[in-house]
Amino acid sequence: MSAVRAQGLVKAYGRKRALDGLSLTAGTGVTGLLGPNGAGKTTLLRTVATVLAPDEGQLRLLGRDTSDPKERVEIRRRLGYLPQEPGFHRSFSTFEMVDYVAVLKEQTERRARHDEVRRVLELVGLQDVSSKKVRALSGGMRRRLGLAQALLGEPELLVLDEPTAGLDPEQRMRFRDLMSRAGEDRAVLLSTHQTEDVAALCSSVVVVDRGRTLFTGTVPSLVAVAAGRVWVDEVRDASALAGWRLGSGLFHHVGNPPSGAQLVDATLEDAYLLLLGGQPAPVAA
Amino acid sequence: MSSTWHLEEDVLDRYVGGIAPPALAASVEAHVVGCATCRERLVPAVEPPRLDRVWEEVLERVDAPAPGPVERLLLRLGVRDDTARLLAATPSLRGAWFLSLLAVLGLALLSAHATDRGVVVFLALAPLLPVAGVAMSYSPLTDPVHELATAAPYSSLRLLVVRSAAVLTATVLLAGAAAMLLPGASWLAVAWLLPALALTAGTLALSTWFEPLHSALGLATLWLAVTAPAFAPGSDPLLVVRSGAQLVCLAVLVVALGTVAVRRDAFSLSRGRSV
Ligand SMILES: Nc1ncnc2c1ncn2[C@@H]1O[C@H](COP(=O)(O)OP(=O)(O)OP(=O)(O)O)[C@@H](O)[C@H]1O
Ligand SMILES: [Mg+2]
Ligand SMILES: [Zn+2]
Repeated sequence: MSAVRAQGLVKAYGRKRALDGLSLTAGTGVTGLLGPNGAGKTTLLRTVATVLAPDEGQLRLLGRDTSDPKERVEIRRRLGYLPQEPGFHRSFSTFEMVDYVAVLKEQTERRARHDEVRRVLELVGLQDVSSKKVRALSGGMRRRLGLAQALLGEPELLVLDEPTAGLDPEQRMRFRDLMSRAGEDRAVLLSTHQTEDVAALCSSVVVVDRGRTLFTGTVPSLVAVAAGRVWVDEVRDASALAGWRLGSGLFHHVGNPPSGAQLVDATLEDAYLLLLGGQPAPVAA
Repeated sequence: MSSTWHLEEDVLDRYVGGIAPPALAASVEAHVVGCATCRERLVPAVEPPRLDRVWEEVLERVDAPAPGPVERLLLRLGVRDDTARLLAATPSLRGAWFLSLLAVLGLALLSAHATDRGVVVFLALAPLLPVAGVAMSYSPLTDPVHELATAAPYSSLRLLVVRSAAVLTATVLLAGAAAMLLPGASWLAVAWLLPALALTAGTLALSTWFEPLHSALGLATLWLAVTAPAFAPGSDPLLVVRSGAQLVCLAVLVVALGTVAVRRDAFSLSRGRSV
């Protein structure tokens, strides 16, 4: 059973189709969602978080049907969700804010609930600011507060919209560690603009563009898209799909290399750029 | 954090023996939170299970500080602590909301006493106060945690009912107290209640289709259009509270509640364009 099984999802805002027949499956492990701004990642994750109902298509989560109100509640009991822009009650303390979400997650027994709140605050390293007002937290701390509430109750499915945006390097490492452990026995679906995050922690990667999936596979299989299509040169090559100057002074290019080019190893970012550039690989002669 | 003083031996003994009075016990606990030396002196003395309990108790006091005024009042009224926390997060159960409520009621009362027809202003405005309060309590435009609440298993309908009931009670009590100060017949003090309930239920019903604040705004406009003719000289200023109008309100109330019951699933999803 796949934790997430989406078939032909369509979600339109007015005439704009944010999801345009998107299909996706994701199982145990960390699945990274990449895609340009406006690709539909947030719309997809809000749908998977059962907040938005798709206009068309089927979405089954943890073996249950999201269109059935009763099964939806069952899913929500096993779901943790970090929205791209989570809102908080700024006059609550950090502890009270997470406690509030714990109540919404049906944790009624006070002592057990408070223990759980302390546990998740410790996981994200916020135990020392638990009595601080939310409005007094830094942006990165608020991000971690959002993550903490998503971890309440050890959900089987974690839906995280840009969880690493605004985190310092140390916190980013901590997050990767947390997620790789969560991914051992649970399904994590996260979006990011950081290809390094995906390379470091995702067992599979999905590239979304204009409301459709452009690629689904493992990280190595995405990197393979760029094999033999990345080269460096002392001058800028105008024929490249993308190129930039490295710190060393050399120019890094992706695209279809000229013959005799000095090829280098491709990264996930190179592959991603090639995929979005839509430049077909040269046909082998 | 290190401390320059330490717990005296006999204080420690009494605490360990569980015979320290609560105030002393609390100060011992406050001290050991910051003082590793005394914490270590305490550890061998106390049997482990009790120490765990003590430590939990200390954490409880540090982390779960005195709740805010709304939450304290609710707890004193016997509301369960988890429900109190849900209510404390209601935008229209906060200080700023009560201030604007008092301002509107004050103005309405002033106008009721200033002119003959001034009471029309009160009767037109009072029913809209609970409407605004209830719509604000669950609109995605005013509740910053709406998105998280929608994704949580707690029934959206139940949350809505709990919050609406609290907002209605608070608002109706305030407006009711103000209505006692109206000039003229004493039944005026309750005549606005049925319209208030009908409009509030109507807003809930409409918001199974539209954004709650927009629903409230639409109904408020309609209500003002209906009540406006009472301002005209020669017309009956109390038209909206006569028995005919009350019957219409009752009918609206029943239909609206029925609609909410039938379409309750709509509350469990985000509607329209959210922000
Ligand atoms: N509530 C909304 N109302 C109208 N249009 C919307 C709404 N939400 C998203 N859209 C549109 O849907 C498309 C997809 O948006 P979405 O937020 O899903 O993109 P995204 O991939 O998350 O982008 P980003 O990387 O910038 O977060 C965009 O064109 C956006 O303008
Ligand atoms: Mg987004
Ligand atoms: Zn000491």
